[in-house]
Amino acid sequence: MNVEGQVALITGGASGLGAGAARILSKAGAKCALLDRNLALATELAEELGGMAVECDVSDGPAVEAAIAQVVEKLGAPRIVLNAAGIDIAVRTASAKGPHPLDEFERVIRVNLTGTFNVARVAAYGMIGLDTLDDDGERGVVINIASVVAQDGPVGQAAYAASKAGVQGMTLPMARDLAPYGIRVMTIAPGMFETPLAAGIPQDWIDNIIPTVPFPKRWGNPLEFGALVQQICENTMLNGEMIRIDGAIRMGT
Amino acid sequence: MNLDNISVVITGGASGLGAGAAKLFIDKGAKVAIFDRNLDLAQTTATELGCAAVQCDVADEASVIAALAQAGEINGTPRILVNCAGIDITGRTATKGGPQPREALTQQIAVNLTGTFNICRFGADAIRQLDDLEGEEQGVIVNVASIAGLDGPFGQTAYAATKAAVIGMTLPMARDLSAYGIRVVTIAPGVFNTPLAASVLRGEPDDYAGSVPFPKRAGKPAEFASMAVEICQNPMLNGEVIRLDGALRG
Repeated sequence: MNVEGQVALITGGASGLGAGAARILSKAGAKCALLDRNLALATELAEELGGMAVECDVSDGPAVEAAIAQVVEKLGAPRIVLNAAGIDIAVRTASAKGPHPLDEFERVIRVNLTGTFNVARVAAYGMIGLDTLDDDGERGVVINIASVVAQDGPVGQAAYAASKAGVQGMTLPMARDLAPYGIRVMTIAPGMFETPLAAGIPQDWIDNIIPTVPFPKRWGNPLEFGALVQQICENTMLNGEMIRIDGAIRMGT
Repeated sequence: MNLDNISVVITGGASGLGAGAAKLFIDKGAKVAIFDRNLDLAQTTATELGCAAVQCDVADEASVIAALAQAGEINGTPRILVNCAGIDITGRTATKGGPQPREALTQQIAVNLTGTFNICRFGADAIRQLDDLEGEEQGVIVNVASIAGLDGPFGQTAYAATKAAVIGMTLPMARDLSAYGIRVVTIAPGVFNTPLAASVLRGEPDDYAGSVPFPKRAGKPAEFASMAVEICQNPMLNGEVIRLDGALRG
């Protein structure tokens, strides 16, 4: 689909990958609705881009329904959904400190996996009622964010990897579920990107990992992530696939 | 990589995915040379699109060396290599008619696998010797596999083997060439509207699109081209295989 004039709903849109995509999609003419737990930060970017900000915890069912209703009322119904909200923790399954706290594991699953599904299901239901855009019968596109961690499995990432592998695993069935309605589903698995989420990673780990990126040997820029988001929106043949964008890194090798 | 004025080689560029890619790379300001075994067809396409045509049999090492040199003389040494040349010989491993002829495998390996590797190794060796471009990147290789290499449709044993091999080369080749600032990404197309698909399916590719979840049609070469251009323009894409198939599993 041509993104110009479309409403793009971006969770975690206040910063990091979500903000990078918001900048790219705005530049291409989309109206961006930034859903974030941090309303102040989301509002700042929304004002810069001419979009809107909504406070939202993606793991909360009624909150997501209310947030999307607000977006529909103010900007129109979103045909582009980018699930960029996510959290990361680094804890070993068991260590001398004890077993991995279960509530921490469940929190990561709730935000990254349930939150992604929550927004996808409510937003996709909204798209089903919209007119088709073209002869293909396209109505919208849902883009989820997994992580190369889901496939590569670095240490201390059991909870995060499980949540992101869950997102990866949803991609094909969700694409098949929504295909009859002309809604595509794609997943992006980023490697090391310069984001606030990555800022929580211990420095010694980062010092070791960036030199292992084959090329380019640096952090990814959220705008590069955003460029791939735009390609996915525009290229109707991309469906049911997960794309690694990582400079060919394989973690733990 | 910014495509403006960049020399690009597209094998199998006379028709199908390659011709589609050539058109978009030209629109983006690149200087394109299409390589094809069929020089007449390549010249017709090149005249239509406004680019160079070079005769090349990718399976033949001498032909690849000569063609890359010729492209270099016309447009400057190619920094982007798009490997679309491929053949598809269908046939079951064994039937009541007997075992599948060995040539079904050897011929497809020669073109689809060795041909792709030939362009990559000679093309990358030439990029390696160029003066550095400003910025971090020196070259991009886009290889073309197929979802057949992952999904294994019947009658495609030999073709699938060659395309699975192209998929398998992606990561080690990206690692090999990373030191020279050259990226390697593979596209695995599903059913596209191309002469190759029409010959294999013995009909219009669109007639076989019923099992594609969405969109319910064959892919357009322009959509392949858009993905190839994004790969070239986005420096973080490297060492990855991207299915482009409307969620089809063959």
